[in-house]
Amino acid sequence: MLARSSAETATISAAALLLSLALFGGFVALRGLNPLEVYSALFAGAFGNWFAIQYTLTQAAPLMLTGLCTAIPARAGLLVIGGEGALVMGGVATVLAGAGLTGVPALLGIPILCLAGAAGGGLWIGAAGALRQWRGVNETIATLLLNYIAIAVMNHLVSGPIRDFSQVLKPASWPIPEHLRLGDMPGTSIHWGLAAGILVCLLAWVLMRKTTFGFAVDVLGGNVRAAQLVGLPIARIVLTATVLAGAAAGLAGAFEVVAVHGFASASLAVGFGYTGILVAFLARQSPLGVILVSILLGGISASGGLLQRHFGLPDAATLVLRGILFVVVLASNTVYGRFRLFQGRAV
Amino acid sequence: MSTETLGPGTAPPTMEVVGMRKRFGVLVALDDVSLALTPGSFHAILGENGAGKSTLVKCLMGYHRPDAGRIFVDGRERVVANPREAHALGLGMVYQHFTLVPSMTAAENLLLGLPDLSPILRWNEARARIDAFMRQMPFRIDLDRPASTLAAGEKQKLEIFKQLFLGSRILILDEPTTVLTPDEADQILGVMRDMTRQERLTVVIITHKFREVLEFAQEVTVLRAGRRVGGGPVRDLGRDDLVRMMIGSTALAEPAPRLPTPQRAPLLELRGLVARNDRGVGAIRGASLTVHEGEIVGVAGVSGNGQRELVEVLAGQRALESGEIRIHGVVYSGTRLDRLRHRVSILTEEPLRNACVRSMSVEENLAFCNFDQPANTILGRFVSRRAIRDQARDLIDRFRIRTQSPAARLDTLSGGNVQRLVLARELSGDVAILIAQNPCAGLDFAATAEIRGRIMSARNAGATVLLISEDLDEILELADRIVVMFEGRIVYETPRDRADVHVIGHAMASHV
Amino acid sequence: MQAPTELGWWGVPIAVVGGTIRVSTPYLFVSLGETLTEKGGRINLGLEGTLVMGAMSAYATAYATGSPWLGVLVAGTVGALLGLLHGLACNLPRVNDIAVGIALFLLGTGLAFYLGKPYIEPVAPQLPSLALGAWSAYPQIRAALEINPLFFIGVALAPLMRWGLGNTRCGLIVRTVGDNADAARTLGYSVERVRALGTMAGGFLAGIGGSFLSLYYPGTWNEGLSSGQGLMAVTLVIFARWNPVACFYVSLLFGGATALGPALQSVGITANYYLYGAAPYALTLALLIWSSSTKHALVGAPSELTISK
Repeated sequence: MLARSSAETATISAAALLLSLALFGGFVALRGLNPLEVYSALFAGAFGNWFAIQYTLTQAAPLMLTGLCTAIPARAGLLVIGGEGALVMGGVATVLAGAGLTGVPALLGIPILCLAGAAGGGLWIGAAGALRQWRGVNETIATLLLNYIAIAVMNHLVSGPIRDFSQVLKPASWPIPEHLRLGDMPGTSIHWGLAAGILVCLLAWVLMRKTTFGFAVDVLGGNVRAAQLVGLPIARIVLTATVLAGAAAGLAGAFEVVAVHGFASASLAVGFGYTGILVAFLARQSPLGVILVSILLGGISASGGLLQRHFGLPDAATLVLRGILFVVVLASNTVYGRFRLFQGRAV
Repeated sequence: MSTETLGPGTAPPTMEVVGMRKRFGVLVALDDVSLALTPGSFHAILGENGAGKSTLVKCLMGYHRPDAGRIFVDGRERVVANPREAHALGLGMVYQHFTLVPSMTAAENLLLGLPDLSPILRWNEARARIDAFMRQMPFRIDLDRPASTLAAGEKQKLEIFKQLFLGSRILILDEPTTVLTPDEADQILGVMRDMTRQERLTVVIITHKFREVLEFAQEVTVLRAGRRVGGGPVRDLGRDDLVRMMIGSTALAEPAPRLPTPQRAPLLELRGLVARNDRGVGAIRGASLTVHEGEIVGVAGVSGNGQRELVEVLAGQRALESGEIRIHGVVYSGTRLDRLRHRVSILTEEPLRNACVRSMSVEENLAFCNFDQPANTILGRFVSRRAIRDQARDLIDRFRIRTQSPAARLDTLSGGNVQRLVLARELSGDVAILIAQNPCAGLDFAATAEIRGRIMSARNAGATVLLISEDLDEILELADRIVVMFEGRIVYETPRDRADVHVIGHAMASHV
Repeated sequence: MQAPTELGWWGVPIAVVGGTIRVSTPYLFVSLGETLTEKGGRINLGLEGTLVMGAMSAYATAYATGSPWLGVLVAGTVGALLGLLHGLACNLPRVNDIAVGIALFLLGTGLAFYLGKPYIEPVAPQLPSLALGAWSAYPQIRAALEINPLFFIGVALAPLMRWGLGNTRCGLIVRTVGDNADAARTLGYSVERVRALGTMAGGFLAGIGGSFLSLYYPGTWNEGLSSGQGLMAVTLVIFARWNPVACFYVSLLFGGATALGPALQSVGITANYYLYGAAPYALTLALLIWSSSTKHALVGAPSELTISK
C-alpha cells in the first residue's frame, strides 16, 4: 500500500472526487434539485466564509487522528476500522483520569489527560493487534466489533457508574475539572485539537517515511513473506502499529472531552471514526494526505447544515456523499498502474 | 464424444498444427511452429524454460488466441476459441498446478468437468458411470476423500483420470513428473505409453527431462526461443542431438570446479525437529541432520515432504514444536539478529513471491537485510537514503542486475533479474551458511548455470551450503553429500561419489 | 379457578425462547445469504448496510402500498441491488472486498437514513404472525409462540441450501469458484459472474432479514434499528463453518444472546441494560477468537476467501 508516484495519486484521487460529486449530483437531481446549486452550497458551507472555514476545520480536527487510526496499520497490511471505538474509549479514559486531577495545574494536567486518552485508545486497538498476531483473528471484524462494545461500555458507564446527574438533557459523565478545559486557539473559534491533529500527522509522516520502523512497516505491508524471510520482528511491528493507531484515535477522544464537551457522553460516537476510514483510503494511507483529506471531508460534514436549511436535504445526505466517495475511491484502486504516463518510478 | 469406453476401434483423431505464432507485447513466444500428431503416438515437446512449450499447448487448448497458424483435426481445419471447444475436439490437459477443488471429493471433482450436467445432479447415475470407467483404468483412486487429502501422485492420477473420463483422446501433460518420485513418474509414464500403444489415446508431454523423452516418447519436437528447431522419431535421435537442439550454440557457463575440502567440524546441526504445516498437520516429524563446514549438503525429496516447512523454520518463519537448531553449538532461532550473528543467508524459490516487495524500489529491496544497520542509518533510527543508494549501485554493478535505475520499482525487473537481486542481497556479504531452496526453479539454462556457479563459488570460498531441491539433477551436480527427506524425516544419506539415482529415488518414495 | 397471570421466574426462560425465535430470524437470513456469498469466495461486510436498507425499504413500501409482504419483496430486491454493487466493485482487479464491504456498510446506512427520514413517524402495516401458542392460558407463552412465517421459511431454507450446495449444478459451480478459482476458469465458468450473482443472492436474503426488523420485530423504522446484526451474521458464518444448517443453530444462539436483555427487562431487571446489549458483540468476538488460529486457516473456509488466505 505504498504511495505510488504523487502525480498519479493526486490525479486519480481528484478524479474519484469529481466522479463522486457527479454521482451525488445525479442523486439529488432525482429529488428535483439542481446539482450545480447543491455543489455551490457544498462549497459555501465548507469554505464560503471564515465562519464556514472554521467550522470545517473543527470538523476536520478529529478526522486527522481517526484517519491515522486506519492509515498507520494499513501500511503494515492490516485493515483496522476501530477508530470509532478507540475515540470513545479515549474519551472515557480521559474523563476517568480527570477525576484524579482536581488539584493538578493545567500545564501538567492537560497533557496527562491527553496521554490518558491516547492510552485508552491505544490499548483498545492494541488488543485487536495482539489478537491478530497471537490468535490469527481478523482485525477488521475484531475492531468493528470492538466499536460496538466500546459504545455499549461507554453508554453503560455514563448512564450509571460515572454519571453526572445534574445533566438532564442526556446521560453524561462527570465533567473534567474546569481548569483543565482547553479553549479555542487564539483569534479563532477552532479548538486546539486541530493543532494536535496536524502535529501528530506530521510526526506520523516522519515515522512512517523516514525511520527504520517505517521502512520495516513498508516491507511487512508489501509482502509478509518477505518480511518473515528477512527476520523482521513482525509481532512487534503489528503491535506498535495498532497501539499507535489506537492512540491517535484515543487522542481525538481526549480532545473531544478536553476541548469540546468537557465530559463523555454519546456525543463521542458521532461517526468520526467511520469517516476516518474513508479519510485514510482517500489519502492512500499517507499521513500527509490525511491532513488534506480531513479538511475536505470536514468541509463536507460542515456543509450538511447549509444543505438542510437551503434545500431541505436531511443531513444524512452528506453520509450518502461520503458513502459514494468511499465506493468510488475503492473502485479507483483498479486504475493505478494502468496509465503509462505515471510508470517507472518508485516514490 | 463417448466417455464410456476407450477401447480399440475408437482411435484418437489426427492433429496437425501449422505455422503457429503468438506474441505477448514485444515478446515473441511462438514463431512459426508446426507439429503433427499421429493417432496413438507418444509425443514429447522438449525445451527449456521460456522456450514456448506452455504457450503452444495453451493455444491448442484455447486459452490463447494465436496471432497466426492453423489447426487441423482429422483433416478438417478448426478454430479453438476457448477451452470448451478444445474439449469438444477431444483435447484435454493436465496442468502442473492441480485444477482440483480441495474441499470437494474426487467424485465431485470428476463430475465437475462434465459438460452435460443437469441442474439437479443425478448422483447415482453419475457414480455408476465413474465406477464403470474406473474399471478400465490401470490404477485406482479413492473417490470419496476430499481432494486436499490426496498425495501429489494421487492427485496427478486423478487429474489424468478426469481428463480421460471427460472424453479426452489427445491428452496433454505439462511437466507431469515434477511432483513425483522417480518410481511414480515411471509408473505414470508407463501407463500412458501402454495406452498409446493400444491406440486408445494420443499423449503429448511437455518436459525438459531428456530421460523421459528417450525412454518413453516415440516422437519429439524441440522448441527453442519460440521456434521449432528440430524433432522427429526418438529412435533416430540421441541425447547429444537433443541437447544441441535445445540449447543451440550458447556455451553454458561451466560449473565452477569443486575444490576438495577435508572433513571439517560440524557447523549446522538439526536435532529432532518437529513442526506443523499451515493446516496444523505434522510436516516435520523428527528431522535430524549435521552439516559440516565447507560442504554442500543436498536435501533431495519430492515436494510436500516437509522441505518448505524446514526452510521456513530455518528462516524463522515457522515455530518449532520441539527439537533445536544449533550453529557452532549455539542455539539458533532464525531471528534477524541470529542470522546476522551467524552470517546465515537464505535463497528461496519464487523470489518475487517470497523475498521481495513489488511496490518498493530496487534499492530498497536490496536493503531488506541491512537497512537498520548503523552504516545505513542516521542517528540509528532514520534511514539514510544515500547509503542505500550507494549500496544498490554497488550491488547492481557486481551482480549485473539489469534495471532502469536503482529507484525503479521492483516489478519492472524481469524474473531472472529479480533472482539476481536476491542473490546480490544474500551473497554479497561474507556468508557463512547458505540455505538455498529450489533456487533455479523456472529459470532458463543460462540463469540456472549462473546461479549454480555462484553457489559453488560460495562453497569454495568457505561457505557451508544446505541445498534443498526438488530437482535431483541439481543436487547431483552440486552436492558433496546427499540426503533424502521423506515424510518429515531425513531417511537416507550418501556421499556424492557413492550416489546411485535409483537408490535415492526409492528413498524419496519410502524407506530404503 | 383463578386464571394464572404470574409465572414468576419462569417468565424469563419463556421470554428468552420467544425472543430467541424472533430475534434469530434476521440473523438466520443474513447468515444464510452470506454463506452463499462466501462459498463463492467473497466476503460481504456490507450486509449491515443492506440489512438497514432492507428494513427501510420494506417499511416504506408497506406504508405506501399497505402490503407488508410486498415490502418484504422490495427489501429483497433492494438487497440484491446492493449485493450487485458489491459484486461489481469487487470484480474490478485489485479491489479489496473487505474494504468495499465497509464502504457499502456506510453507504447503505447513509442511504437508508436519507431516504427513510419521512418514514420515522408513520406507522406501516406489520407482517402477520402465526399464533402457535393459542393453546396456552398464559399470556407469556402465547406471546413467546407468536411466530412469523419468515422464521419457518428460513428454517426450511437452511437444509435446502445445504442440499443444494452438494446436489445441484449451481451449488457445485459456486463451491468451485470459491475454493479454486483457476479450476473454475479452466472449466469455462466466469468467476466474476458467479461471485456477483452469489453476492446478489446473499444481499437478497439479507434484505429480507432487514424487512423482518421493521415489519415484525421490533416493528418500527428508526435510525437505531440495527446495530451490528449484519456484521455479527457474517462472523456467525465463520463459526458455523460455512454450513447452512449450522447457521441455523448458531442464529438461535445469537438470538438468545440478544434476547436476554429485553427478556430480563420484561421481568423488571433493568440494571446493566447496556452491558446486556453488549452481550451479542462480546459473544461474537469470543466465537471469532475461538474459531481463529495462527497455526492453520479457518476450518472449513473456502480457499478463495480473503480472510482465509
